[in-house]
Amino acid sequence: MRSLRLPSFALAIPAWTWLVTFFVVPVGAVLYFSFGYKPGIFGTHATDVLSFDRYAEALSPTFFEVFMNTLWVGIAGTLLCLAIGLPVAYWMAVKAPAHRRGLLIALVMVPYWTNFLVRTIGWQIILAPEGWMSQLLQTVGITDGPLAILYTRTAVLIGVVYNYLPLMILPLFVAFDRVGPALREASKDLGANRVGTFIRVTFPLARPGIIVGLLLVYIPLMGDYITATVLGGAQGNMVGQLVASQFQAAQNWALGSAMAVLLILVIMVSAAAIGFLLWLVSLPFRVRNRVVLEATA
Amino acid sequence: MTTTAPEATLTDAAPGVAEATAPRTPPAPVARRARRSPVDIGLTVWSVLVFLFLFAPIIVILVYSFNNGRLLIAWNEFGFEPYRALWEKPAVRDAVAVSLRTGAIAAVLATLLGTLAGIALARKPGKWALWFIGLLLLVSVTPEIVDAVALLPWLVFLGQDAGLSIFNDGTVRLVVGHSLFSTAVVTYIVRARLVGLDAQLEEASADLYARPLTTFRRVTLPLAMPAVLAGLLLSFTLSLDNTVVAAFVQVSGSTPWPVYVLSALRGGLRPEIAAVSTVMLLLTLAALALVAVVLKRAGDSATQIARTMSGG
Repeated sequence: MRSLRLPSFALAIPAWTWLVTFFVVPVGAVLYFSFGYKPGIFGTHATDVLSFDRYAEALSPTFFEVFMNTLWVGIAGTLLCLAIGLPVAYWMAVKAPAHRRGLLIALVMVPYWTNFLVRTIGWQIILAPEGWMSQLLQTVGITDGPLAILYTRTAVLIGVVYNYLPLMILPLFVAFDRVGPALREASKDLGANRVGTFIRVTFPLARPGIIVGLLLVYIPLMGDYITATVLGGAQGNMVGQLVASQFQAAQNWALGSAMAVLLILVIMVSAAAIGFLLWLVSLPFRVRNRVVLEATA
Repeated sequence: MTTTAPEATLTDAAPGVAEATAPRTPPAPVARRARRSPVDIGLTVWSVLVFLFLFAPIIVILVYSFNNGRLLIAWNEFGFEPYRALWEKPAVRDAVAVSLRTGAIAAVLATLLGTLAGIALARKPGKWALWFIGLLLLVSVTPEIVDAVALLPWLVFLGQDAGLSIFNDGTVRLVVGHSLFSTAVVTYIVRARLVGLDAQLEEASADLYARPLTTFRRVTLPLAMPAVLAGLLLSFTLSLDNTVVAAFVQVSGSTPWPVYVLSALRGGLRPEIAAVSTVMLLLTLAALALVAVVLKRAGDSATQIARTMSGG
């Protein structure tokens, strides 16, 4: 009332301007390019004639196969992360001694904060046919010849599960930690056994965390470019690589843009579909008298 | 209550099997007193195995950074040759210098933008906040590769067609590319911190006739400070690690170290790649330890720190 009144969002204007200039506008431009075409060998894109042709091109059998491949790796990788990460998060939040929790969280954080490319190269060393793992397996007699995993879809799957596992463990840990021991004890005092307590109390209350974890893993995994490049080899079996190669090697920005737009659409539609499926699956787990946890600040 | 223990031994198989099946069937909770039930042991064994899995490639990189061979993958003999090469090869040193420089600038920029936006979101929420949070979410969920391929043509356009030659500069391009995600992260952290604190102090300050700017500088900013510092350090490490966007927007002559590693991938990796990775990992960990200390001193619990450090 004393001085001139700024609008309530005044302080957000610099960040808003920055993000619009270097995120919204460029991504919008990609959408626009995707309706264009590649004019001759030396041009990267032209937009004087607009059409959906690039989308048809992007969905041709060769590229479609890569899309399906990406979807397979995305879904299998996310589910594996859940299967591997859920017991760990539960153990960290419920079983591990409380004073060690900070250390355990730090142990999950260290791999998460190690450079993505570097950890993936670590797997390249481990999985290499001439590497120590391969020799060890041959010496022990588990495999006959050298390890033949590197540059296959299996290697990419191992890589993505490894790379995104911390993003699954952390939200699950937070979710289990929030439930707290009081409700579990109450459930037991009221006569529920351990399985009953997990299914009727702990799991339903941790559900939001599970959904967050699934999304946190699935979305970046689908757009992954590094893991597939390092472990999947040159043949390129994820969409991220295809997009990159259109922009770099092929210099076809129109087609690359169409692929990028399709990638975002596939991620959005499949994430929504997975969310719907989860909701259906979890219906039987609904507690009739819901316990609502107070929001954690 | 101890009667539950034998039941558990009946329903659950031996520890080894329990560990193998643990990932598929969600493990059951265990009685407080029956601390060493098979389910407990299975969960513990499984967790230890997963932690080993999480550290396997990092340990491999650490060990192979002492590989005195010509190729990274083929172990030759123990030695410090890679670290010496790191020091002697200007290309690697330059790449690290570029990363540190752009990381610092991008971190300061993202912290500035994010802190202001976070304060606005926490203290002046309104209809605009929904739109803004929507934009931040969009920035954080968009795959990096899409950011990268979108930013490249845009920077080329700004630098060449629009005549803003500043966007032809390697440092500027990397700072722009690194700052986007970091701005969103800092905004989340600062907002979360201030939402958790009552606005009464600021109201009291206003009641005592402090001007808005004084209140901001003497009350709001100190309250937000732990989050601001954490955001600054997180932005710095995010920037140091940025590979995908950097690979697209970089211009030759200012290549950050992850991009140097990425381009070395095609020509066969040499052991100094592991050495530079080890050095950068130690740097990142030092920055993160600082974040944890800052947050801990500000009174955050382990869980809250975990949430902050996984990006809000």
